[in-house]
Amino acid sequence: MAGCLRRPGQANPPSAEADDGVGPPPPLADWSRLVPSDLERYGDRSLSGGVSQDGIPSIDEPTFWSLAEVNYEDADPVFGLLRNGVAKAYPQRVLVHHEIVNDEIGGEPVSVTYCPLTGTAQGFRRGETEFGVTGSLVNSNLIMYDRETESWWPQMLATAVGGPHTGNVLQEFEVTWTTFGRWAEAHPDSTVLSIDTGYLRDYDDDPYGSYNPLREYYRNDRIVFEVFNEDDRLHPKAVVIGARTADAAVAVEKDRLREAGLLTTSSGGTTFAVVHEPTLDTAIVYRDPGDHALGHDGDRPTVDGESRDPGDLPGERVVSFDAMWFAWAAYYPDTALERA
Amino acid sequence: MSAPTPPRPVARVAAGLAHRFRVLSLVVRRRRPIGVLLIGTVGYLLAFLYALGDLSIEDTGRDVVTVADPWSRMFEPGSGPYTHEPIALVELEVAELLFSPLNVLLGLGLAILVGANLALTVLAITQPRSCGIGASTGLLAAVPALLGGTACCAPVLLLVLGIQAGSLTLGLVGWLLPIGAALLVATLAYLAGKIDPRVLARADEAG
Repeated sequence: MAGCLRRPGQANPPSAEADDGVGPPPPLADWSRLVPSDLERYGDRSLSGGVSQDGIPSIDEPTFWSLAEVNYEDADPVFGLLRNGVAKAYPQRVLVHHEIVNDEIGGEPVSVTYCPLTGTAQGFRRGETEFGVTGSLVNSNLIMYDRETESWWPQMLATAVGGPHTGNVLQEFEVTWTTFGRWAEAHPDSTVLSIDTGYLRDYDDDPYGSYNPLREYYRNDRIVFEVFNEDDRLHPKAVVIGARTADAAVAVEKDRLREAGLLTTSSGGTTFAVVHEPTLDTAIVYRDPGDHALGHDGDRPTVDGESRDPGDLPGERVVSFDAMWFAWAAYYPDTALERA
Repeated sequence: MSAPTPPRPVARVAAGLAHRFRVLSLVVRRRRPIGVLLIGTVGYLLAFLYALGDLSIEDTGRDVVTVADPWSRMFEPGSGPYTHEPIALVELEVAELLFSPLNVLLGLGLAILVGANLALTVLAITQPRSCGIGASTGLLAAVPALLGGTACCAPVLLLVLGIQAGSLTLGLVGWLLPIGAALLVATLAYLAGKIDPRVLARADEAG
């Protein structure tokens, strides 16, 4: 249906036809990631969020402060990135106004992205290009575009749904949703994204509500934009840890994981082990942990009765991220779910 | 004897416009309506900027910070339909203004229309013999524009209204502001057309 008459409010994704005039794409993954619907459907069902392309401006020349230069509260949410031996924190209060930071970490060009409406923070390698905000949404989720090929990349899907790279997959890495106090204690040498973004915004004000304390959009049960699928097994804004592979998606309610310490679940014939990492109050997801007896002694995970560090479990680590339940269920209706 | 020739359409439109400009010029010379016009204009402009998120009430110092390249930045699109980027942060001790010249211009245009509608409404209340119109007409006319003023950012408006949006709802949100502006112009023209400037002028001479 792309290219046919569009209704008012419906977004207008680029066509999938190749354009020889475009520059290099962002680095692409050589593996696939679960895409439960036809790619065309994501473009057809995308909505204009009332914002023009780049109307929410990405931060393209970020500057950073030392931890000592900021006076954030310990409970303020930040997105932590530890990569190439460098630690950086990206405050939610800054990213809520920009959604994308085109940065370099240890010499590697990366984009740290955040969608306030789905509560998702994800990192992508960007190569020579930059990502920007299209102003359109699918399943209430940010649709990014790369500035060289103008392909459309829904953040959570991390797969292009419009433009010359339709069907290609981005190289993704983990960004940790934690708090300023936890991150500063774990990484005292970290720097923090400053508010010298090149744009003027009221960075003390979050137009959607607040995480500290939790209120308004981040707490109520409203889903602002139409989604593919609604699932009432959890409160729409309950936080889940989500992970997906080429053919399976799993979600674990974060409150349940805090209680249990470690959970195993299966989806699409694959077994996943999800372990709580208490220092940053985050999770690490492993696939195919083998025939080991996995457990938790109340303090640390155990493998065959032996205490282990959460980062040292058997199996292959899978990228995971925090998400609001409604958004995860909208993208992945057949997801496995572990809940209280 | 032949019947008088009816005026041509262009002449009728010109006469209608001249009539309305005469009414508005008489209105701005009268103390009470001009007071209402000014208060309505300033009040709506402040409400519009607050709804956009450009104006906030908070304890601040007294300072002005500008962006590096204000002349190009002021034309960049903002985070809502019809809005543009701010170029200065103005701290006024009790309030903070993210100053975007084009947002202020847009708000001022709508605000003058709202103020003028309110001024004519006051005239309708105080000079009923000249009007023959309901006092509520001008007030009703201000409603769509007030809604339009909150159409700065579709997600925020939808959060306030508590509705889930599909493409049609979003399409409507995008049209609120121009619809509101068009309705304000239409009601202003209607109200001014109902007022007889000769009655107002005679009242001025008598008073």
